[in-house]
Amino acid sequence: MQLRYVFTELRQGLRRNLSMHVAVALTLLVSLTLAGVGLLLREQAQLTEEVWGDELQITFYMCNGANDRNPQCAGAVDDSQKKVITDALEDNRYVDKIEEESQEQAYERLQALDVEGVSGPDPVVRAEDMWESYWVTMTDPHHSAEIIEAVAGLDGIDHVGDVHEVTGPILAAVDGLQSAALVGAIVLIVAALLLVANTIRLAAFARRREIGIMRLVGASTLYIALPFLLESLVVALVGIGLSGVALAAVMHFGVEQRLSSTAVTQWVGWEEFFSSFAIVALLGILLTLVPTLLLTRKYIKV
Amino acid sequence: MIRFEKVSKAYPGQARPALNSLSIDIQKGEFVFLVGQSGSGKSTALKLMLREQRPTTGRVYVAGKEINRLAGWKVPRLRRQVGTIFQDFRLLTNKTVAENVAFAMQVTGHSNREIRQRVPETLELVGLDGKGDRMPDELSGGEQQRVAVARAFINRPMILIADEPTGNLDPGNTVGIMRLLDRINRSGTTIVMATHDVQMVDQMRKRVIELEHGHLVRDQVQGGYGAQF
Repeated sequence: MQLRYVFTELRQGLRRNLSMHVAVALTLLVSLTLAGVGLLLREQAQLTEEVWGDELQITFYMCNGANDRNPQCAGAVDDSQKKVITDALEDNRYVDKIEEESQEQAYERLQALDVEGVSGPDPVVRAEDMWESYWVTMTDPHHSAEIIEAVAGLDGIDHVGDVHEVTGPILAAVDGLQSAALVGAIVLIVAALLLVANTIRLAAFARRREIGIMRLVGASTLYIALPFLLESLVVALVGIGLSGVALAAVMHFGVEQRLSSTAVTQWVGWEEFFSSFAIVALLGILLTLVPTLLLTRKYIKV
Repeated sequence: MIRFEKVSKAYPGQARPALNSLSIDIQKGEFVFLVGQSGSGKSTALKLMLREQRPTTGRVYVAGKEINRLAGWKVPRLRRQVGTIFQDFRLLTNKTVAENVAFAMQVTGHSNREIRQRVPETLELVGLDGKGDRMPDELSGGEQQRVAVARAFINRPMILIADEPTGNLDPGNTVGIMRLLDRINRSGTTIVMATHDVQMVDQMRKRVIELEHGHLVRDQVQGGYGAQF
């Protein structure tokens, strides 16, 4: 096979259809970057769930008979009520671990925070004002509602603290952003596919005389199609490279320089970047080579 | 070398078939004129020989291969044994004469050494010695057709198919091209030529196959354009 001819054709093809190739590369840049951002957001959502899921617990505060919020409370919780509550928690399949905190322990924890009016000779809050509580760690943080439903109504429970009420909207926002990025990516991927198809059609039309002669003198289909495939591959690599740079910029300027200083959660790192970029690169190659293969079969059928 | 066995070819949307139960047998080294009015089926017969079309019914054998059964990936190998020239030359205007001729070798995987050796030889054979660096539009019609013949013949095909190769040429160039084709034929290459050129067919006195509405109406060993010969 005369590779010199193939590369000459490749160079001429790239030059002849330069504006179309630039359009394809730019569309690939935007669509692949959006797809990459979507994948990074998915990784971020998983990381956040993992980090917060481990740390998040449901806290069941029990009546103390002093400053209860629940009107059903009739004095401090007794041992029989606590037994019913712990039995209910132990029987629940979503409960992983139960830790009990006494009023004294809660008070010590409050004192450790150095809140004004807690320590000193005449404190505003005393140990008997605190609630005894059960801190429940879950096997799966998605099922907090089931545990709360089973226990919250039992006698002796004053109120329930569930941090998921706070984190839920944040996770939902991350999910929303991920979906928006992926929808945007899909729309642009369709645009990229159509652009690739148009480029191949134009390239085949521009070279119709050469292709006709090649067919007649007995050039193989692969030989005729090779410049088209290489042309698409070059454009795909340019698009993938640009989207890699864009995603790296998002990681560096967005995550590393801005978000990582906020310790709200663990942020995606370069490991997640490379795994997302690998998928993006594969997607970029498939997006260009598959339509090229299909269309060259159509336009240069031997 | 080429055999049609009761070959019919119908195109979709056309009431009458382009070829109707055509049977012909062309031996190795023959020079055959394919004559008939426009629409008689000459071009379809040539397309079947090149496996650009497949017959609707019947069998076509070219260079020992039954083209109906030939797998797609084997078609290029068949076409390397069949050279083709056309009325409109079909040269690449952005390549020189030598590059046009070399093109047929390049795209079929020949080495540069072979190309460098065979291109000047073939240009000399067709009478274009020393014109390898010219561009096609610097040549006369007859010279351009010689380039097309050189390109068709450079891979030394067993068969040369010519679709009205003198249709765009003046009488002087027509004679030149026919002499060239005759020389190629005498080297053992089978030539099948579709033409409307009455005078040239009458002068050459070669085998004539005449088609009319897709039917074979005459197959004469040393015939002329009309049936009176």
